[in-house]
Amino acid sequence: MESTRVITEMILEEAKKTAEHIIQEAQKSAEEKLEKQRQLGVQKANELAQVLLKKAESEAELDKLNSMANGKIEANWVILSKKETWIDNVLNEAKNELKILTQSKKYLPILEKLITEAGIILGGKELEVSMNKQDSTLPVKLDNIAKEISEKTGFKTKLRLSKEKLKVIGGAIVRTANGKVIMDNTFDDILVRREKDLRFEIAKILFK
Amino acid sequence: MSVLIEAFKAIKEKHLEAKRIVEEATAQAEKLKNEAEQKALSVYEEAYKTTLSRAEQKALDLKRKAVKDAEHELKKFLSNAEDQAKGIEAKARKNYKKAVDSVLNIILR
Repeated sequence: MESTRVITEMILEEAKKTAEHIIQEAQKSAEEKLEKQRQLGVQKANELAQVLLKKAESEAELDKLNSMANGKIEANWVILSKKETWIDNVLNEAKNELKILTQSKKYLPILEKLITEAGIILGGKELEVSMNKQDSTLPVKLDNIAKEISEKTGFKTKLRLSKEKLKVIGGAIVRTANGKVIMDNTFDDILVRREKDLRFEIAKILFK
Repeated sequence: MSVLIEAFKAIKEKHLEAKRIVEEATAQAEKLKNEAEQKALSVYEEAYKTTLSRAEQKALDLKRKAVKDAEHELKKFLSNAEDQAKGIEAKARKNYKKAVDSVLNIILR
């Protein structure tokens, strides 16, 4: 009887061991499968993540460059607008000085010179001179000016004062008798005509 | 003789019990495998989602950092520009009269 008990116990023991092994193997296999799936998930996501990160990196870099470029433009604009304001101030101050000049004794010879230069450029002959209301009252020696133009151009020149009164700071407009050719030698037009050069010259002096 | 029969009977009973134990274990193992099979997809999806979510967060952080860096650079640019503007103003004040005279000379010469 004792030997039978030993045999049956052995059978049961063996069966329990086998069962335990089967379950352990199944658990191990299940865990391995889940781990494999987890790793596969991570791997697949990492593939997409690499693309995402690369895209984000280049977008971030591009945004940064754009932002910095805009910043530089803005910064340059601040400086440029400051310079432009100062240049405008100088031009306005020069206009004021010219207005003051027109009230002084120094102005008459300057006005006469402006008329002479315009007359020479137009080639002399029959010319008409227009000025502003105040300058029209000045004792401008039109005959002397006509003589000088005649000498310089070789054409007999006659100057006539126009009834037209210009709304300008100073200077004069000279026209041929038929009005077809005009030389504008007013301060206002010279300032406009030479504005580009003047702004360049002013900048050179102001900011050196 | 009856003792021997009794012994065989006992062994057969235990053998059947042992067979049942193994069969139960096999069934449990099969159940474990099936459960793992069913869980596999959700484990995959969970790992995929978590990893991707981390990457998305990292991408967001990168962009935020770039914006912050750019803002910092921008402040530096504007601060430099303001300094330069002050320098320009000082020079302009100093040379203002000279510039006005130069314009008058050009107009009147």
